[in-house]
Amino acid sequence: MNRTLTIARKEIQGYFNSPVGWLFVLVFLVACSALFFFMQSFFASDRAELRGFFSLMPLLLSVILPALTMRLWAEEKKQGTYEFLLTMPYTEPELVLGKYLATMAVVGLALVLTFPVPLMVSLFGALDFGQVVTEYLGVLLLASASAAIGQLISSFTRHQISAFIVSVIILTVLNLLAQLPILVELPAVLAGIVNWLSLNHHFISFSRGVLDSRDLFYFIILTLAPLYVTARTIVFGRWR
Amino acid sequence: MIEVSNLVKRYGGFEAVRGVSFVAGTGKVVGLLGPNGAGKTTIMKVLTGYHRPSSGQALLNDIDVAVDPVAVKSSVGYLAEGVPLYTDMTVREYLDFIAESRQLPAAERAEAIAKACQSCGLKGMDDVRIEHLSKGFRQRVGLAQAILHDPAILILDEPTTGLDPNQILEIRSLIRSLGVNKTVILSTHILQEVEALCSEVIIINEGRIVAQGTTAEIARSLQGEDRLDCLVKLPANAAKDAFSAAKVGAALRASGVIGSCEVEALSGGKLRLKLLTGAGQADDAAAAVFGWAKDQDCTLLDLRREALSLEQIFVQLTGEEAKR
Repeated sequence: MNRTLTIARKEIQGYFNSPVGWLFVLVFLVACSALFFFMQSFFASDRAELRGFFSLMPLLLSVILPALTMRLWAEEKKQGTYEFLLTMPYTEPELVLGKYLATMAVVGLALVLTFPVPLMVSLFGALDFGQVVTEYLGVLLLASASAAIGQLISSFTRHQISAFIVSVIILTVLNLLAQLPILVELPAVLAGIVNWLSLNHHFISFSRGVLDSRDLFYFIILTLAPLYVTARTIVFGRWR
Repeated sequence: MIEVSNLVKRYGGFEAVRGVSFVAGTGKVVGLLGPNGAGKTTIMKVLTGYHRPSSGQALLNDIDVAVDPVAVKSSVGYLAEGVPLYTDMTVREYLDFIAESRQLPAAERAEAIAKACQSCGLKGMDDVRIEHLSKGFRQRVGLAQAILHDPAILILDEPTTGLDPNQILEIRSLIRSLGVNKTVILSTHILQEVEALCSEVIIINEGRIVAQGTTAEIARSLQGEDRLDCLVKLPANAAKDAFSAAKVGAALRASGVIGSCEVEALSGGKLRLKLLTGAGQADDAAAAVFGWAKDQDCTLLDLRREALSLEQIFVQLTGEEAKR
């Protein structure tokens, strides 16, 4: 556990030694607030609720979270530190988990910095804080799955930009998948599968303030599976 | 202590290391010498636990790399080829990260870092970002990183590449002092480095060991260990073809201790002889040449004995393999 935290600390240092960590937090805050207050015409709707605020986050995260995950392995490979890191006394799961925790720490910081938004809204009327908590939990789980998927993609390449583009595409598709059954008429089974796969579909119930174990299960699977595959990828790379 | 037996490493269909065995004891600096692409780096990558061996075994202080790579990694210090570093960190941040990764107790970290910086000449560089360092200083950071946890085994892949002559001398003396109570393996294709640093040499070509031992042993084990270079003045009344190349050669070879004989007639009635002797027979060969010259009434003007330098051995061993 100690060593996992060492890696996490190193990655967090890396995020904030370069502009990428600051930029992520800044863009996240500005985009969330601006889109919510101005685009979603919060003031015109005249209701003290944050569903609009949170409904923006899945797509926003699909576009900007890959900026955090793209470097995790691709940069190590590019700089030649990949091999070096693997000759340090770490197990693969420690490395993968440490990097995942670093990404989540930055996301966590960004989310904490949005707390003024619900606090401010609560000044205008009675805000259901229980719902706000599940909404935050939903975003955190969504980010967790996205961070794991992003890290997996980064482990396949030595080019950060490729990792970024592929991650954005995959995450955006996973998000927009929920729109497909609405736009096109699909057989019930197929629609069910498409919905199950979609990140957004599972996120929606959180943003309604509903905590469903199936959604929880989905996000946990979508976090653990990519992390596991990342660790295996590294191990297999060394057998070759 | 490093014990490697029958190590094989394949990348896909390509066999980079083909059955290498050697032992490197404590207090030794062992040089892995070979042309580029010979398999030196691959051997080191296996020893550091980065690559798993395809077959064979590598024991580092009696721990099998393939069985417990994490334990091996803890007891090894490794300077990788090209010195990859986290360039966005400062020297201090980087060495802190290494100390933590090596799980040095927090109380000992500062002291270990200070000591490593001292030995590698990094005093006062704490807050410099690695990306702003010159190649020589990066090399030192890499070396400081490798010795930070005082490992029993040091593996250095081309430790002096890219350094200026002064830095090379400094780093070499550091490695020499480290070699006193550690096992050090270093790879290089610089022959002087091996002669200057290593107590033992392993010459590798195309994934195989072609020679192994101290530099003197390797030289001795080779056929035609010594070369004799002679200059002879022929008697004034010598018959025209009494000293033809064929006759001289035959006469000298008849002694049984001279392998090959190259004869070159010079102006002024002189002959230059280039002789290769069998292993350990240089004394007898020199005596045979002297005896022959006396019998033939020749004057021996010059008789020089040349041991094969490491460079010649290297060319002979790796060049021959390449021709095959």
